[in-house]
Amino acid sequence: MIKIQNVNKYFYKGESREVHALRDINLEIKKGEFSLFNGPSGCGKTTLLNAIGALDSVDSGEIYLGETEITGLNEDARTSLRLNEMGFVFQAYNLVPVLNVEENIGFIMKLRGFSDSEIKARVQEVASFLEIDTKLKSLPNTLSGGQQQRVAVARAVAAKPKIILADEPTANLDSKNSLKLMDMMRSLNEKEDISIVFASHDELVIDNVRRVIKLKDGALVED
Amino acid sequence: MFNLALKNILFYKGRSITTLILTFISALMFIVYVSMMDGSHESMLKNALKVYTGSIEIYKKDYRDIGGNEYLITDVQKIEKELDKIEGIDTYTARYETYGLLSSSTQSSASLVAGVEPLKEPSMSQLKVALVEGEFLSPTSGNCLYAGVDLVKKLEAKLGDEISFVGAASDNSFAADLFKLCGTFRTGSFSFDASSAFIARAYFDELMMSHNKASYINIKVHDLNDVDTINTQISAKIDDSIESLTWKTLMKTMVDAMEVDSIFGYITISIFYVVIFFVIMIFGFINVSSRIREFGTLRCIGLSRQKIRTLLFYEIFILSSIAIMIATPIGAYIAYYYSVHPIVIDGMSEMYKDYGIISDEIPFSFNLFTITWNISVVYLLNILSILYPMAFINSFKPVEAAHHV
Amino acid sequence: MFKLILKLAWNNAFLRLSRTLLVIIMIAVSMSMLLAIQGLFDGMAYNMSDKMLRSDSGEISIYHKDYRLNKIIANHVTDAKTIKAKLEQDSEVQAVVTRFSVDGLSATARKSSFANIIGINLEDEEKFGQFSDFLKKGTLDFKKRGALIGGELAKTLKVKVGSKLVFSTQDKNGDINSIALRIRGILRTANVKLDTSAIFIDAVRLDKFLGIDKNIATQIAIRTQSSTLQDKLKKDYPNLSVKNFLEINPMMQMMEDSMVIFNSMIFVIVMFVVFIGILGVMYVSILDRIREFGIMRGIGMKYSHIRLQIILEALFVGLMGYLVGALFGFSGLYYLENVGLDLSAYADAMESFGYETILYAEIKLSYFTNTFYAIFTASLLSVFLPLRKIKKMHPIDVIKADT
Repeated sequence: MIKIQNVNKYFYKGESREVHALRDINLEIKKGEFSLFNGPSGCGKTTLLNAIGALDSVDSGEIYLGETEITGLNEDARTSLRLNEMGFVFQAYNLVPVLNVEENIGFIMKLRGFSDSEIKARVQEVASFLEIDTKLKSLPNTLSGGQQQRVAVARAVAAKPKIILADEPTANLDSKNSLKLMDMMRSLNEKEDISIVFASHDELVIDNVRRVIKLKDGALVED
Repeated sequence: MFNLALKNILFYKGRSITTLILTFISALMFIVYVSMMDGSHESMLKNALKVYTGSIEIYKKDYRDIGGNEYLITDVQKIEKELDKIEGIDTYTARYETYGLLSSSTQSSASLVAGVEPLKEPSMSQLKVALVEGEFLSPTSGNCLYAGVDLVKKLEAKLGDEISFVGAASDNSFAADLFKLCGTFRTGSFSFDASSAFIARAYFDELMMSHNKASYINIKVHDLNDVDTINTQISAKIDDSIESLTWKTLMKTMVDAMEVDSIFGYITISIFYVVIFFVIMIFGFINVSSRIREFGTLRCIGLSRQKIRTLLFYEIFILSSIAIMIATPIGAYIAYYYSVHPIVIDGMSEMYKDYGIISDEIPFSFNLFTITWNISVVYLLNILSILYPMAFINSFKPVEAAHHV
Repeated sequence: MFKLILKLAWNNAFLRLSRTLLVIIMIAVSMSMLLAIQGLFDGMAYNMSDKMLRSDSGEISIYHKDYRLNKIIANHVTDAKTIKAKLEQDSEVQAVVTRFSVDGLSATARKSSFANIIGINLEDEEKFGQFSDFLKKGTLDFKKRGALIGGELAKTLKVKVGSKLVFSTQDKNGDINSIALRIRGILRTANVKLDTSAIFIDAVRLDKFLGIDKNIATQIAIRTQSSTLQDKLKKDYPNLSVKNFLEINPMMQMMEDSMVIFNSMIFVIVMFVVFIGILGVMYVSILDRIREFGIMRGIGMKYSHIRLQIILEALFVGLMGYLVGALFGFSGLYYLENVGLDLSAYADAMESFGYETILYAEIKLSYFTNTFYAIFTASLLSVFLPLRKIKKMHPIDVIKADT
């Protein structure tokens, strides 16, 4: 489903502090995969994830999502691609502080124009699966970290994207909450048939994914 | 997007309250200040028009610039016949004005002496209602003189006294007569009350040989707003040696003075707007910069730049609207209230009498159009104030912003 | 330590550059506008009162007790020239003039108007108030029945330099008498009364025309810097009315008062809004760095040091704004003082109200000192609220606080 061909990316290109962040990456991620970009800090895992997520551009090479070449799209097209095809989970949860849990989860569906009844049903379904259905009316800052991250996952999942990109989702969580989150995401992956790609160096995540892609200094070292 | 904006407003209370209060103050101040300024200008004009000047006056060309007997209107009846045919004219009257020396037994003073039509004048000017003592003129009042109180004071005369007049008749011959002081008036305009006297035309025309002649014809229209259209009609019907002028030309000095005054008023008030604009902008900017991560997330999950702009626009729009919706009725009410019950400053007219201020009252102007443009300016400034924060937030890349600390 | 704190404050003040710049621009723009307007208003008022002073009343004028209520020939000061000579000996008196003024009718062949004829001595007037400064057209010359005429009166009478004019009035015996005059010059004094009605002629000619004693006058006007002279003169001449400038021109007093009130109101409101602006930025800037302050306190920095740092930071921002504002404000004022604001498009209106058609601003040191104090205070006050927030927080909480 995702095809990455000869992707290179530099930071500070042309300057003395130039960093070759991604080196000739070639990779394919299939539908329904539950995989991980792993490696030490600065290895390029987040950069790669952002490139796949159409958040960041690359200097050479192509990335395809299905038949669409992401790397060739303009900003507007990329924005709409993110909205319609992808879901994101961040390390710092990044919920909209003024919206309650229910509204946060339904936010992307709303942006995509689902009807209110559709949204309500889907939010209920996802929330009860992620065990946050009792918190639907709460504001994010009243929730624990684990709960907030599950809301973030729920938001990413709710609109049924083709792929969810999760950048260090467990970094701010203790091991108990991390495990619970990974369990739930794995079940979601199976139940909803959504590909999930992680970028993380958390052992706990490594133990729970089906495919580990190791990166070092921007290059693919192990798959 | 609208709901989200509403929620943001409720969530970020500090910014919302500051913006609300400042917008409220600026809208209220703007409405009240402009209303006061316009109001005092309007009343000055109205008072001046009411006293003696007509909304339209017809002159022989050059009378106003050169003057003298060569520039009198010589066939009043012909013009009056034309005026009768024009719609929108309420009344008109022909005045014959001259300057002469009026003397009592002890004092003398130069004064305007005008022959007026006693029956028509009351509906044209304040002369009759300004009566203080004695009585106004009538067609048969003969040599009765109706003089301003300050003139009478200067002459040290009292009702019934004889006042001698020396001047030049309309054919430049010497004219002199004895008048009798029958009435005094006070319009409030010092220069007018100190140097004007009136006499019935029927009598004065005999003395001045001014039958069918006039210094000018004074016209009152039904609706002051029609003055330009009526003036065009009049101009079309009179011959080239005669000109018809509206109050805007007749009182050019006053109109100009008000314009200057307004310019200063607007300059002064603009300081407030500049400062308030900056503060609203700063608070908007601070608010946005504390929400960089939030906006970053929104961008990441698929909100376009345009949507972010819309969101910020809604926020400032809602805040401005609330403030303006509260400020406008209050401001309008204040303007309305003081337009009906003017502020009175005792002694103001006395103090500024040389400047043509004839009333102690400062009425406000209540004009919905003015209020509308006032609040539009406030709206516009508020919306402009969010442009920089908008540009600022959209200058971030989504990923950068989402991880911003 | 202080040096370090100073450095911290300076660097932090410009950490979020765009935010700080916004505040600086806000202060600078509002301050320079404020200064320009104050300067312009003061300039207008100064110009007006200066001209009224020079053209008419001086700092002190002496009249017959009843003259100001009833301006007739009989209400004159009898030994005016003697008083003048005596005053000229007084070291506190800079200049003295005597004038004789009487109302009457001025007429040309076509127009006539009320007028006030004033007999003056040109040399004395020049010393008294640089009379030549008021001349707008023609020459200062009383030769061959020459007369100088107020600008508005000239407009009313439609006369130009060279025109002939007849002035009629009652002489001292009550007989109507006329004098033919030729206009030599047209004056603009900014004194509405003079501009609309004055005709100046040679004092000697007027005395002769009215048949009066040359020792008498209706007004003795005095230029002085002394504040005690008026009381002294009141004692010396108990039978005369000794009035100072503001008593003679109550309107100027009122204008001055309302100007002061108006200017201070603008000043206070603008400074208050500026204060809100600085407060907002300081508050947020401190909240942004609350963790940093927590760590500093955690590693043992005293609260008073943190306070000092924040106060300095606010002062830096405020003073930068002040400096830029003072610079712009001064340039604006300098321009307005030297080039002026040209309103000749409204010349008629301006002149009829006694203003110049080009308005010049005043520059007073007090503008800059007052604004300095105000901005200094606003900056100081603006840290009060944020500081309380820091003080209330325990170092541990601060470190833990999520940004």
